[in-house]
Amino acid sequence: MDGWALWDLFLTGLLRGGLYALMALGLSLVFGVINIPQFAHGEFYMLGAYFAYFAFFTLGSTPMVAILLAGAAGFAAGALIEKALFGPLRKRGGADWVMNTFLVTIGLSFVLQNGALALWGANFRGITGYWSGSLRLGSSMSIPLDRVAGFGLAIGAILAFWLFLGRTRTGRAIRAVAQDETGAALLGIEPNRIRNLAFALSTMLAAIAGGSLLSLNPAHPAMGSEALFKSWFVVILSGLGSVGAAIPGGFLVGILETFGSYFFGSVWQDCVSISIIILILLFRPNGLFASDVRGIWER
Amino acid sequence: MLEVENLSAGYDGLQVLWDVSLRVRTGEFVALLGPNGAGKSTALRVIAGLLRPTAGSVKFAGNSLAGLRPAEISRAGIRLITEDSNLFLAMSVYENLLLGAYTLRHRKRIDERMEMAFALFPVLKERRKQLAGTLSGGERKMLGLARALMARPKLFLVDEPSLGLAPRIMMSVFEALQSMNRQGMTVVLVEQNVNATLSIANRAYLLERGRIVLEGESGVLRNNTQIQESYLGLS
Repeated sequence: MDGWALWDLFLTGLLRGGLYALMALGLSLVFGVINIPQFAHGEFYMLGAYFAYFAFFTLGSTPMVAILLAGAAGFAAGALIEKALFGPLRKRGGADWVMNTFLVTIGLSFVLQNGALALWGANFRGITGYWSGSLRLGSSMSIPLDRVAGFGLAIGAILAFWLFLGRTRTGRAIRAVAQDETGAALLGIEPNRIRNLAFALSTMLAAIAGGSLLSLNPAHPAMGSEALFKSWFVVILSGLGSVGAAIPGGFLVGILETFGSYFFGSVWQDCVSISIIILILLFRPNGLFASDVRGIWER
Repeated sequence: MLEVENLSAGYDGLQVLWDVSLRVRTGEFVALLGPNGAGKSTALRVIAGLLRPTAGSVKFAGNSLAGLRPAEISRAGIRLITEDSNLFLAMSVYENLLLGAYTLRHRKRIDERMEMAFALFPVLKERRKQLAGTLSGGERKMLGLARALMARPKLFLVDEPSLGLAPRIMMSVFEALQSMNRQGMTVVLVEQNVNATLSIANRAYLLERGRIVLEGESGVLRNNTQIQESYLGLS
């Protein structure tokens, strides 16, 4: 194979990785700030796809508006669910918090999946494309414009989120609560509000991911599982709860998969990428980018 | 300013404080002295809202603090600086200070306070880009104080700032506390170092096994035979 083919593969992997990074970002945020191993993350990706579908196809809004609406709806759903489920659970005492919330998110995932099934049926609801046309990149590869736009949106969302977390007063408060909850409360920051916000932001990112990929992955009640597993691969590979590491980790998994499916056939893509992840974890059990300092940038 | 009446508190059924009453007037520098495990830190934790009392009441500026969350108490103007300062170790000194001013919205005022904090602790200005986790013990105490100072609280609760510090650094932390007090802030200081504390506080309470056993002006307490024998090593 020549250099161009490699380059094409690399690009495809990058495009995929953008989505993985976006999904994993929310997952590690929730684990880093609230210590919830979120297993209903894929369902918010699914909700995002549905919301975008209804906004774009049924209501006829523009693609950008549809995706933003999906994000807003994902935010609202997350805020509501955190308030209704995890807030009360925390009040009852934090013993076995990680295990309990893990079970709650599994239950939540069942409820959301079957709720979607009951509400919208088992049919695939997809669109042919947000934007038509394609982009020529590299030698002979032409990438549908939708794919490029989806990637651009993912990168845009990641950047915006990154700046928010790093530069704004509220973003700083989120990191403060992740690092030292008591210290944050003693400065007048309400940890409960911050936790609710962090959860809602993570579900918003998942919904944006689902919405922006609607033309490739049509909305369907069970579509979340694959997205969930992929984002967990990324999070485990890059280090649990480390928000910064989720981004390179996402791209790494995307590229591993593309190369795996090219060289071994697409049936083997998961097998190849997971094998490599296991190999890496054998040598770095805490994840590729894990460090000892606590806090959601480093942890 | 602060009225603590008949306070009892403890952890998981183990009672630590028994019927503790304290009074702090505006502008005072009050010390809470006593041996390890006497309940000094517990008293501060109850006032700051980190621990709920089992009996008794805490009033601040005439209002009861019962049932308020720590963040609400902090916004009311009480700031607790815990023993380990609860710094955000993976953030820079600068970001820690900014978070100290979380309740402030005006950029200009935040900058002013930042300058004040740097004037009080010049070493923090040098280290402002460093992560808090890389600071030495003394610098961490200073950052803890400076961070609390950012919001100009009415009442400072300081828990054992001298713990683990070299005497020279301890003195500079004490001097900083004194100068904050001179700037009009009310200070309640918990300490085991009786001698140094009595030299800067106006008044002191002595806590033993969860009860107040002695209270009075610093000068009077220093000449008290009980204090001299048990804490100052004089007889």
